[in-house]
Amino acid sequence: MTPKRISARTRNEWVTAYGFLLPNLIGLFVFVFVPIVYALYVSLHDWNALNPKAFSGLDNYRKLLHDDQWWSSIRITLTFSVIYVPLLFVLSLLSALLMNALRGRTKGVARTLFLLPFAVTSVTSAVIGMFMLDPRNGVINRLLGLIGIGPQPFLGSTSQAMLSIIGVILWINIGYNMIIFLSAIKEIPRDYYEAAGMDGATGWKSFRFITLPLLRETSTFILIVTTIGSFQALDQILVMTKGGPANAMEVSVLYIFKQGFELLNMGYAASLAFVLFLIIFGLSLVQLKLFSNRN
Amino acid sequence: MPAVALALGFGMIFPIYMMIISSMRSETTVFAFQLLPVEFRFSNFAEAWSDSGLPRSIANSLFVSVTVTVVAMVFHAMSGYALARLRFPGRRFVFAWMLSTMMVPFSIILLPLYLITKELGMANSYWGLIVPSIFNAYGIFLFRQFYRDFPKELEEAAYMEGLSLAGTFFRIAFPLSVPIIVPLTIGFFLANWNSYLWPLIITQDEKLWVVQQELAHLAGGGYFTPWNIVLAAAVIAAIPTFVLFFIAQRYLVEGIKMSGIK
Repeated sequence: MTPKRISARTRNEWVTAYGFLLPNLIGLFVFVFVPIVYALYVSLHDWNALNPKAFSGLDNYRKLLHDDQWWSSIRITLTFSVIYVPLLFVLSLLSALLMNALRGRTKGVARTLFLLPFAVTSVTSAVIGMFMLDPRNGVINRLLGLIGIGPQPFLGSTSQAMLSIIGVILWINIGYNMIIFLSAIKEIPRDYYEAAGMDGATGWKSFRFITLPLLRETSTFILIVTTIGSFQALDQILVMTKGGPANAMEVSVLYIFKQGFELLNMGYAASLAFVLFLIIFGLSLVQLKLFSNRN
Repeated sequence: MPAVALALGFGMIFPIYMMIISSMRSETTVFAFQLLPVEFRFSNFAEAWSDSGLPRSIANSLFVSVTVTVVAMVFHAMSGYALARLRFPGRRFVFAWMLSTMMVPFSIILLPLYLITKELGMANSYWGLIVPSIFNAYGIFLFRQFYRDFPKELEEAAYMEGLSLAGTFFRIAFPLSVPIIVPLTIGFFLANWNSYLWPLIITQDEKLWVVQQELAHLAGGGYFTPWNIVLAAAVIAAIPTFVLFFIAQRYLVEGIKMSGIK
């Protein structure tokens, strides 16, 4: 090959590469990058979506510091996260261990049963939840009645709404995380367990000293993804209680949603979104440090 | 152990079972404490179908989900291929930049995304439902992983035969990408069929409602909610996802595993 031909091929390769990347470069730029920059810009303005934007500096950020409803929404979000994330983690891991202990046909059937709720959409899960948790006639209350527990208000109560919604979200998400855990467990070489078994480490010990450490990366991944997801959970909340009762389920994304789309405080809503983004980002970094750098 | 697993498994599908058996009851018996399927009012499905916006919303969801998925597969495969196989200046930067967009939680940019989409004149239209949903660094990333392990010899041979680089991709690499396209197609379709929040924000016109909006609307009637009909509608709306689940469970599981790869 002559140098000229190589350079023609090289140039051709550049053009093809950028041609192939162009749709996504434009799309990600317009629909992900620009919105972030735009949010930052809007957050520095007083704007109700109708009048022209009026520059207001850091006023929106000062306002949110003293907005009790905002901090209440953060508290609700964190409470939700602190209950939901560990529950999902433990239940998915236990389900994966259970699947791993099964053999043959049972394994396939059980896995299908555990994964099937993953095919239920978030709105459908909310609809089924509302039906089954009906305070007067719902099947859950009927079942509780069988063991002598009186009817519970569930979604109608400020103290039970969160657990009810968490239950519904857990239900459709365990299968997915179980599969991720299961595939990581399967990659652990059997000799590790055999060697440990010869040293007398079985059962809980082999789980504690072999399985768990070797699942560290997967665990970190699941924890971070689940935590980020828990900050964004909105579908079921919107459908099941619209943030109620008495704002008990008004999580931060819902508060931002209301400020922006209902009250049209676009600038303020953008500043809230930005702060929430920083909180999520910070938490992910902390988790990454805690769980991947240990040992 | 197997008995425990199966018992728990049946517990997991109990709500689905309840949805199905209750969807065939009458309005007065829908809450009856009867766990066995004793009533089969198939007419509920016909009623749910004809007395609601279900047909149109299902058509909208199918149209949006299929379009997004097909376009996304082509775009993401092209980008993934370029990042994995072509040499060009700025490759590392482009890849890092695309990956960084994955750090942005969707619900955080909801408001500015809505404003931008509106500026572009796409609000309250199929364009607004479809276009912003296409771009997703995650799909690009998985295609890149796939093409990195793609046999070089095939491409070299194609190039020697006189195919252009683009021709090599479209005629050789892309058709051989079925192992990655199938699980990703399922994942994208399910994610878009599931989509509720974005359509809720970007559409005002009821004619543009997707199926999840219609379902949420039907279930939002408070005390007057006709639960048997709502559940019948939920069953109809679940058919595509359940069919997909049962015919392609293997690929679905594969897709989940891929998403767990760090």
